[in-house]
Amino acid sequence: MKEALRVRAVQGLSVTALLLAWEGVARAGWVDPLFVPAPSAVLGAFGRIGRAALAGLADTLLKTAIAYVLAVVIGVGGGLLLGAVRPLRRAVNPFVIALYGMPKILVLPWIVLSLGFGATPAVVYATIHGAFPILVLVTGAVRDVDRNLVTVARAFGARRWQLYWKVVLPAIVPTVLAGMRLGIVFCLLGVLVVEMFAGVRGMGYVLSSLANGFQAPELFAATALVSAASIVIVLSLDVLNDRLAQWRGEVR
Amino acid sequence: MLIRAAILVGLLGAWEIAGRLANPLLYVPPSAAVPALGRLLALHSYPDLAEHLLLTLGEIVVAYGLAVAAGLGCGFALGFNRLVGRAYGPILAALYAVPAVVWYPSLMLFFGLDAASKIAFGFLLGFFPITLAVLAGIRQVSPQMLVVARAFGADGLTAFRKVTLPAMLFTLVGGLRTGLALTVIGVIVGEILGSKSGMGSLINHAYGLFRTADYIALVVVTLVLIVGSDALAAIVEHRAQRWTE
Repeated sequence: MKEALRVRAVQGLSVTALLLAWEGVARAGWVDPLFVPAPSAVLGAFGRIGRAALAGLADTLLKTAIAYVLAVVIGVGGGLLLGAVRPLRRAVNPFVIALYGMPKILVLPWIVLSLGFGATPAVVYATIHGAFPILVLVTGAVRDVDRNLVTVARAFGARRWQLYWKVVLPAIVPTVLAGMRLGIVFCLLGVLVVEMFAGVRGMGYVLSSLANGFQAPELFAATALVSAASIVIVLSLDVLNDRLAQWRGEVR
Repeated sequence: MLIRAAILVGLLGAWEIAGRLANPLLYVPPSAAVPALGRLLALHSYPDLAEHLLLTLGEIVVAYGLAVAAGLGCGFALGFNRLVGRAYGPILAALYAVPAVVWYPSLMLFFGLDAASKIAFGFLLGFFPITLAVLAGIRQVSPQMLVVARAFGADGLTAFRKVTLPAMLFTLVGGLRTGLALTVIGVIVGEILGSKSGMGSLINHAYGLFRTADYIALVVVTLVLIVGSDALAAIVEHRAQRWTE
């Protein structure tokens, strides 16, 4: 307990020291406030851009949510299919791995060109971006389901749907959850990149237009806002994951 | 193998047919993309291709060098001091959960549109996996083995070289490879989001002028760069694996 307290103290002190040092450096004029504004100036900027930034964030999160649902459905569905059907997996998997490894940013100009400006390219790009890691993880998990479990279930006369529902699905839950945690960051990243590249709304657009307008305090404030939002989303998924893991442990 | 080849041929055929039927500004069939690649490599479509390629390569090398140095430094500093590691580890992990691209506008504002902002972004993307891999690797080292090594009279440096390093090498090299892949992506994302030179700027230029065949050719060249760097990293990783065994 004592160590936990010391850890907290070190964390709190370091962050405070960093902010104070930053404020001091900015006030002393060692850095150009045009590029690196003082924390107090950033705090003030929250008031000025709060509403616009929150609207942009809401827009971005909505697109992310749509893309995320699509990515999970495609990733888990495709993973179940590829993992379970061996010939299909052997034929298609090399392509999936190759596409997974390819940086999607290279096709972004083409996607924007074909789908125009607006929400559609962002959702499509983020779905592609998020679906691949989930697909690859789930395919592997289904492939590696303990053969003995399947054999025993078959021996006890399990039907095909029962096999999936009672054996395969519970076995892959941890991997699916890990994929979903990875997927949310990928989807959010995808939406933000498209908004920065060719957005007319959303947080990515807000960030890049603030940068283009040399509004550093507002830019830092907006960046802090998105960062905080994504940290909250990922950490709450982690907490949910832990709860589920505990619950699974108790059931067993 | 045969089925895979058939799928590949089928996909290319579908692309060819779709490309011929659809809007030629957007969809270019492979039969038009291959000559475009030839023109690009013969330096007809972009005579200064080599300079842009070298600039991108240079940005990657500098960014990766910085990421390795800072990642190893931070990782070992955090890993060998329990209190520091427990205090800063979670902060690092939380920052890693932020989609890195949100930092890019600030970097662009600070470093400008030239190479520096791409180097900074590539560095940022490569730094995290390397640091986290060092931390994970140090956790894998068995404390008993260190105690035994010390008991047999090994000094700190010898214990590090003979026990710690071999035990964590596998994880470390994996992190270095991931770091390289992310640094490469970071540099290219940075160039595509805003730059005046480099492969990303050429891609943007071709796309902006609806020179779709040239765009595909440029993407192919960039992909070769990306896949080549990863293949190089894979060879090093393989060597390291053999060395530990």
